Amino acid sequence: MRRSLIIVLLAGVLLAIVPYLGLPAFYESVLYLIFHWVALATSWNLLSGYSGYFSFGHGAFYGIGMYTTATLTSQFDVPFLWTLPAAGLCAALFGAVLGVVSFRVKAVRGELFALLTLAATFVVATIVLNTPIDGGQGVYLSAVPMPEFGPSPSGTFYLLALAAAVATIVIALLIYHARFGIGLFAIHDDEDVAEVMGVPTFKYKVAAFALSCALAGVVGGIQAMFVSYVTTGDVFTVAMPLTVVLMSVLGGTRHWLGPAVGALVITLLLYSFTAGDCAVLGKVAMGVILVGVILFMPEGILGQALKRFGRKPQGRAAAASLPPSAINEQARLAESGAVRTAGAPLPHQAGSSSGAAGPSEIQSGGALLVARDVAKSFRGVKALKGVSLEVRRGEILGLLGPNGSGKSTFINVASGHFPATSGSIVFSGQELVGINAHRIARCGVSRTYQIPRPFAHLTVLENVALPAMFGAQLVERQQAQEDAWRWLEFTGLAARAHALPDDLNLHQRKFLEFARALAAQPQLLMLDEVLSGLTPSEIDEAVALIQRIRAQGTTILFVEHVMRAVMALCDRIVVFNQGEVLAEGRPADVMARPEVVSAYLGKPIDGGRESPNAPGVPIHA
Amino acid sequence: MLEAQSIRVAYGAATALWDVSLEVGAGELLCVVGPNSAGKTTLINAIAGLNRICAGKLSFDGRDISRLPPHRFCAAGIALVPEGRRLFTEMSVRENLELGSYIGQARAHRADSIERVCNLFPALVPKLDDPAGSLSGGQQQMVAIGRALMARPRLLLLDEPSLGLAPSIVLDMFRVIREIHAEGMAVLLVEQNVTMALQVAQRAAVLEEGRIVATGTPDELLARPELRRAYLGLDAEEAAQA
Amino acid sequence: MNLPSSTLLAQSILAGIFTGALYGLLGLGLSLSWGLLRQINLAHFALAFLGAYLTYQFASYGGVDPMLTLLMIVPLFFMLGVAVHWVLARFKVTPFNSLLITFGLTIIIEALLQWIWTADYRRLDSSYAEHRYRVGDVFLPLPELITLGLSVAISVAIWLALKRTDLGKALRAAAEDAPIAAAFGINQRALALMLSGLNAALAGIAGVCIALSYTLAPSQIYTWIGVVFAAVMLGGLGRPMGPLIAGCIIGVSEAVTMAVASPSWAPLVSFSLLILVLLFRPGRA
Repeated sequence: MRRSLIIVLLAGVLLAIVPYLGLPAFYESVLYLIFHWVALATSWNLLSGYSGYFSFGHGAFYGIGMYTTATLTSQFDVPFLWTLPAAGLCAALFGAVLGVVSFRVKAVRGELFALLTLAATFVVATIVLNTPIDGGQGVYLSAVPMPEFGPSPSGTFYLLALAAAVATIVIALLIYHARFGIGLFAIHDDEDVAEVMGVPTFKYKVAAFALSCALAGVVGGIQAMFVSYVTTGDVFTVAMPLTVVLMSVLGGTRHWLGPAVGALVITLLLYSFTAGDCAVLGKVAMGVILVGVILFMPEGILGQALKRFGRKPQGRAAAASLPPSAINEQARLAESGAVRTAGAPLPHQAGSSSGAAGPSEIQSGGALLVARDVAKSFRGVKALKGVSLEVRRGEILGLLGPNGSGKSTFINVASGHFPATSGSIVFSGQELVGINAHRIARCGVSRTYQIPRPFAHLTVLENVALPAMFGAQLVERQQAQEDAWRWLEFTGLAARAHALPDDLNLHQRKFLEFARALAAQPQLLMLDEVLSGLTPSEIDEAVALIQRIRAQGTTILFVEHVMRAVMALCDRIVVFNQGEVLAEGRPADVMARPEVVSAYLGKPIDGGRESPNAPGVPIHA
Repeated sequence: MLEAQSIRVAYGAATALWDVSLEVGAGELLCVVGPNSAGKTTLINAIAGLNRICAGKLSFDGRDISRLPPHRFCAAGIALVPEGRRLFTEMSVRENLELGSYIGQARAHRADSIERVCNLFPALVPKLDDPAGSLSGGQQQMVAIGRALMARPRLLLLDEPSLGLAPSIVLDMFRVIREIHAEGMAVLLVEQNVTMALQVAQRAAVLEEGRIVATGTPDELLARPELRRAYLGLDAEEAAQA
Repeated sequence: MNLPSSTLLAQSILAGIFTGALYGLLGLGLSLSWGLLRQINLAHFALAFLGAYLTYQFASYGGVDPMLTLLMIVPLFFMLGVAVHWVLARFKVTPFNSLLITFGLTIIIEALLQWIWTADYRRLDSSYAEHRYRVGDVFLPLPELITLGLSVAISVAIWLALKRTDLGKALRAAAEDAPIAAAFGINQRALALMLSGLNAALAGIAGVCIALSYTLAPSQIYTWIGVVFAAVMLGGLGRPMGPLIAGCIIGVSEAVTMAVASPSWAPLVSFSLLILVLLFRPGRA
């Protein structure tokens, strides 16, 4: 990343020399336009490309910035340069308010968010038009004094736009590599899972939106001065946000440089077509390009290029080989004669501050999670009818029951994936019902998904590093990546660290779920049918893995159907039936009870009179 | 009547069914039992045409239907009662039933079929114009079975009809299934509720982790250890001790 | 704010209903496409304008009665709709990407319109525009009446078809659960193609109405997008009577706002409604 940063800054410095070269003003104009669109597209991409919430309202914030500058300079005589931060701030404020209001509503995603932001543009436009801000005649800035730090007026604008473009790209680059950026990308792939893994989705989205709007506002402020006459009709259009979308999609929305590439291409294209009749052809070309890109090259130019030339679509972190620390680890293993690669030594627990159980506490068996009368209804259907159970520290508790009995729902409620309808779940003294899922993750609760839900566009390594960064330990990115390597070795996935989840088979994807859940270093690990679909030998491996996990002090709640695994692993089991707890106790005891047997195998049709061959009746020798 | 020969079904890279062969004769009731994620739904969906078979052969009445597009299975004579009912919840019960008889040959006998369904499930009569989503689980299951019957099939596929239903309703459900079978319908029933299933079945098969591990009559299967081990994880001795 | 006379108010309300009927007609195809096919067809507006320009061309230069152009436009646009859907289905385009692709199509069509007919304003002078009926103190212009009539008739017809016919029910079922619908013999692909053709034909019909009442310019395409989307969402996706009723509500509130306050406040109404609907009833989508 440092290398990219230096290159960008260097390019900025080099380009800053251009106005002093005495070239015809034409070059400065074209470059100004390019920088203008680069800044707009890159700022748009911060929310929309990274997190997937495509906004069609970029024009609104651009316009707010323009009018802030126009109003402050013409009506309040504020020096132009001072209005730029004000423009950014104003736009950011509006963006934050709109963001808070829209992101609160869970269903507003995808196309709904696009429409909402589009509508916001017209609302803002109407308000601006009808109030003294514009009043209908537009605002003239020609009388406003220009700052004079460039060789000429056009040179000054050039430098301002260049600064905006460079600043925006640098911000995009920094975010891309930071925890913030990875969180946004996770939101893009699977927002609900990201939230459960500890990403504060609401805060991040609002922050990205506000930042994106602020930058658009600043660019707008510069543009206002440049054109020196603003009207609502020119500023608050549909065409502007759609152009920005086109540029980013063309360049590649998943990369910090993508929108800049797209902006460059489109601006040059349009400029070369603007002469005479060809303007129309230029438009056609733009339309054809947009359609073509979506259909054939959805990752955009940059994404496609990166893929073609071997690097990952996002060009993220780590080298293709194992980091030195892991290599040492492996050598140490070989020396100590450890059995197989999957039996790698357990990763170091970074700081036992969150009360991870030491060996003595494992035996104490105090209650870690206490659920009382937990109920959950979905549109009238009662999935959980009042479940009370206890998970003791250091144990492996099995959760069993026929299909539809509520086991997965219980895990979904405990992890915060669904809010409980009523009841209480207390974990280590903290009430879980009613708090956001990402805070539950911070408390030290972690889970796997029955049908694996990895982040499809993050590599295996990044998938595992993420929970470490957002889980209870809030580890730094660098450390998280190192930890991720160790967890991958622990689960035997180290060789596939740079693959995308789609390239893994089911067994590997299930183990990825494992590694991901473990990377958060939870106190309580909830496994939702991790063994389903695995072959017998894979099941054996998984069982061994779970035993090693418990040995290091993690408490495990284990939903399963594969009986031999349940018998081999569980200290206690709880049997669910029809949304309630049916039985609880040691596995062999519980599974022999008649009511449990009949819940699983069913009752006979002819009311209660069991045939001699019905299962559950002991076979008399 | 229905013959599956060594069929294999995969979801992307993951194979769900390996080399599965089974047969349902005319008028026969075959049950497939097995624990969760054994592949029961995958199997029945393949026979109903919802899943593509990537290897093997599926034939019905001597006709190879392995490559038939999904919407032609109904006209061939196969009707499905899906897992979890999957009714068209926004539409009324009557509309759901009418849609069951969408295909030409069934449409002609629509009125008769509706009457037959109402006779089988009298509890539905007052609910005919209510939205299907507002019915209870048991009532929805009745509508789902009725919808399939409206297609006037020769083979009825039932995917876990007892799922999520209270035990007394399950009793009623299986009584009806028995009745339908008694009228001459061939039935393929997939179930988790082993006891019920084996009480109505003429023949049965045990599916575990994508493979058929045992077939035979209900009595034969109950005597064998595969069933108990697959479900309870106990072998015979442990069960005797308990 | 000046309170208008009752005549002005009545005329405004009437104008609002007429405008609303056109919103409804435009929104109908969009709503059906989004609700039943999960495709957001932004190109709907451009298609409507294409229809409008074709009507203008044939009526002004070919001497054809504008209503007769329907005979040509309906089948032509039907085929266009089928073609577009075929492409979208073949590439398994997500609802969001369909928004982007159809935006690309919009740009292409707009450019085409500009190339053939230039950016100058075009107005169709037909005999229809000269006829007005008088009821009491208010005037009912014929072109607007035709629009209202077409909009109501088509909306009701589609509503009945979806509710009563087997085909309509099959469409609704396929929209809710396509694989199970297929299990009962419903060929979702064929139905979807047919529905897309119908939607495009509706766009064409709306275009004829636009040509009768409005001045045409390629850039005008975008002015309709926002307000029609508002009508579609307010009316509930996939509900045939929705866009018409919602369109009239929006049209009337816009017209009353224009009469009571200043015309430039009008967009505030529809877009604020849209925002409120999105925030409080997004589940409808």
